[in-house]
Amino acid sequence: METPAIPVPEARSAVPASLRGLLPVLLALPVLALFQWLMSDAPFASYLLSVVGVNIILAVSLNIVNGMTGQFSIGHAGFMAVGAYISGVLSLNLKDVALSFLPVAVSDQVFFVVSLLVGGLAAALCGFLVGLPSLRLRGDYLAIVTLGFGEIIRVVVQNTDAFGRALGLSGIPQTSSPAMVYFWVFLTVLVARRITGSSHGRSLWAIREDEVAAEAMGVDTTGYKVRAFVISSFFAGIAGALFAHFVPIINPGSFTFVKSMEIVVMVVLGGLGSTTGAIVAATFLTLLPEGMRSLFTLLGAEGSLAQKVDQIRMPVYGLLLVALMLARPQGLFGTKEIWDVLPRWIPRKRRGLA
Amino acid sequence: MSAAVQETKAEAGAPLLQADGVSIQFGGLKALTDFNLSVRQGDLQGLIGPNGAGKSTAFNVLTGVYQPTQGEVRVGGQRVNGWLPHQINHLGLARTFQNIRLFRALTALDNVKVACRAQGALHPEGVGLGAKMKGAFINYRDWWRALLLTPRFQQEERELTQQAEHLLEVMGLSHRRDEEARNLPYGEQRRLEIARALGTQPKVLLLDEPAAGMNTREKADLMVLIRKLRDDFKLGVLVIEHDMKLVMGICECITVLDHGETIARGAPAQVRNDRKVIEAYLGDSYLESHGGAA
Repeated sequence: METPAIPVPEARSAVPASLRGLLPVLLALPVLALFQWLMSDAPFASYLLSVVGVNIILAVSLNIVNGMTGQFSIGHAGFMAVGAYISGVLSLNLKDVALSFLPVAVSDQVFFVVSLLVGGLAAALCGFLVGLPSLRLRGDYLAIVTLGFGEIIRVVVQNTDAFGRALGLSGIPQTSSPAMVYFWVFLTVLVARRITGSSHGRSLWAIREDEVAAEAMGVDTTGYKVRAFVISSFFAGIAGALFAHFVPIINPGSFTFVKSMEIVVMVVLGGLGSTTGAIVAATFLTLLPEGMRSLFTLLGAEGSLAQKVDQIRMPVYGLLLVALMLARPQGLFGTKEIWDVLPRWIPRKRRGLA
Repeated sequence: MSAAVQETKAEAGAPLLQADGVSIQFGGLKALTDFNLSVRQGDLQGLIGPNGAGKSTAFNVLTGVYQPTQGEVRVGGQRVNGWLPHQINHLGLARTFQNIRLFRALTALDNVKVACRAQGALHPEGVGLGAKMKGAFINYRDWWRALLLTPRFQQEERELTQQAEHLLEVMGLSHRRDEEARNLPYGEQRRLEIARALGTQPKVLLLDEPAAGMNTREKADLMVLIRKLRDDFKLGVLVIEHDMKLVMGICECITVLDHGETIARGAPAQVRNDRKVIEAYLGDSYLESHGGAA
């Protein structure tokens, strides 16, 4: 079909400017309610999708720092741990408290949201404290500092009674639901997208492209890097807090350097700078081991072989990465986004129908 | 209108950019010694010298990339020793780079928008704590506006786009609006860098070898363009250039550096015949064989 010469009016212009900020949220809520209804009878699917959701939040938030801003943080699991433990301990302590004027289920959710936010803010504060000194410098310092931070958090948790030491925390109220997880997934993606489309996002991209030039053009490079890092840490904390409320037990083993690298792999695999890529890669890499496990079960090779699948996940990652970096060095999506491509298709289809 | 003209005339006297006895030392190496400079509105000055004379170092000191070991730099009357490059840029000093430093993966339009925005977010970033707090507050408010996509934010984005489009038009780059900067031909990349610098609404523009790698015709066009920019945007311009013809053609005042020291300053004709300048550029032997020039 030939592209007509008449400029296509923007589809969004039908929405009043004052509503555009809120519209995605209004559209998302019924979808999430439907999703929750579908998931209510499927505990395993709920669990698996929650894990996928948490990983999406982690990958998309890390992409703000590693992809858009071009810095290299490899301690994302540390911020996740901060969120998980702070909110976990809070929820444990508030377990028996209820707001008397609300039904118990609603009251639980209120406390859950509060503890999520506290976890996220604690992680953001850590992000600020870690980022402020290390982001003044250029290059690899951030990688070293974040690596150290992740390990420090793990060791601190391992040696603190309040955090259950190596045994971990159990008995955290399981107040999370797939709808809540995906609400935060939605918020993270929305924030990432709006940053990209704003002048702040352009400043971050400019820092990624050329820090010296960005500084010379009046961009407060240190300030912007710290802000990006704080936002990223906040969502990592939220992801950890969500995680803590649907797994039976959290222990330091869940937040090791391996976990951090897993997230970095997701971001690189999807394409540094592409939120879409981060979502796709996080989903794929989380479901891959499960899919393999199911496959082996189907083949009748249950038991020991199925258990081994989990162990070969890292070699599979490695092979995948090597193969991908050879075939597509810029990652699956490069810096492209699905929403940059879609608007061009939709009006064309509409015209075709009309 | 008339008030604006009067204001311009009144301001024309005060130096917008001033270097007072600036020296910079890297370990034992004196890269720049007792460097003095004063750029006023409407000036078109040149900074020349052989390779390694300290021209780019001088630019880097003026823009805050390096800190002077001695002396002081003033932008718009404000002492800026110890300021960061982006803060100095906010005072009205913009530059281009010798080796082009565009945001390569961004479109031409976005390159300019980055610069325009940084000025929109211009905060009273002084050295004081109060000013810093205020700047931080404005910045966080701006972030929330962007995240919530408020009507005001959308309006600002439209204005930024218009502003950037205008600058692209001035530099003859409208047809490259949505092209990634790295895909532009060399000459257009140079022009885009100037457009980006203008986006920061400077009072003084520093051009680091703007004609490098251009052919004779492009250089001639550039000379006309630089003059036009100075007049249209009411700038003071300081150019580093190797091409003598270009510098002599457009600059009213030329400073010559050699080994970090200022060896001559004055009108093109005066500098051209200066014995020290010829010596620096062509060597003693040339003077001996030609019986000297001055």
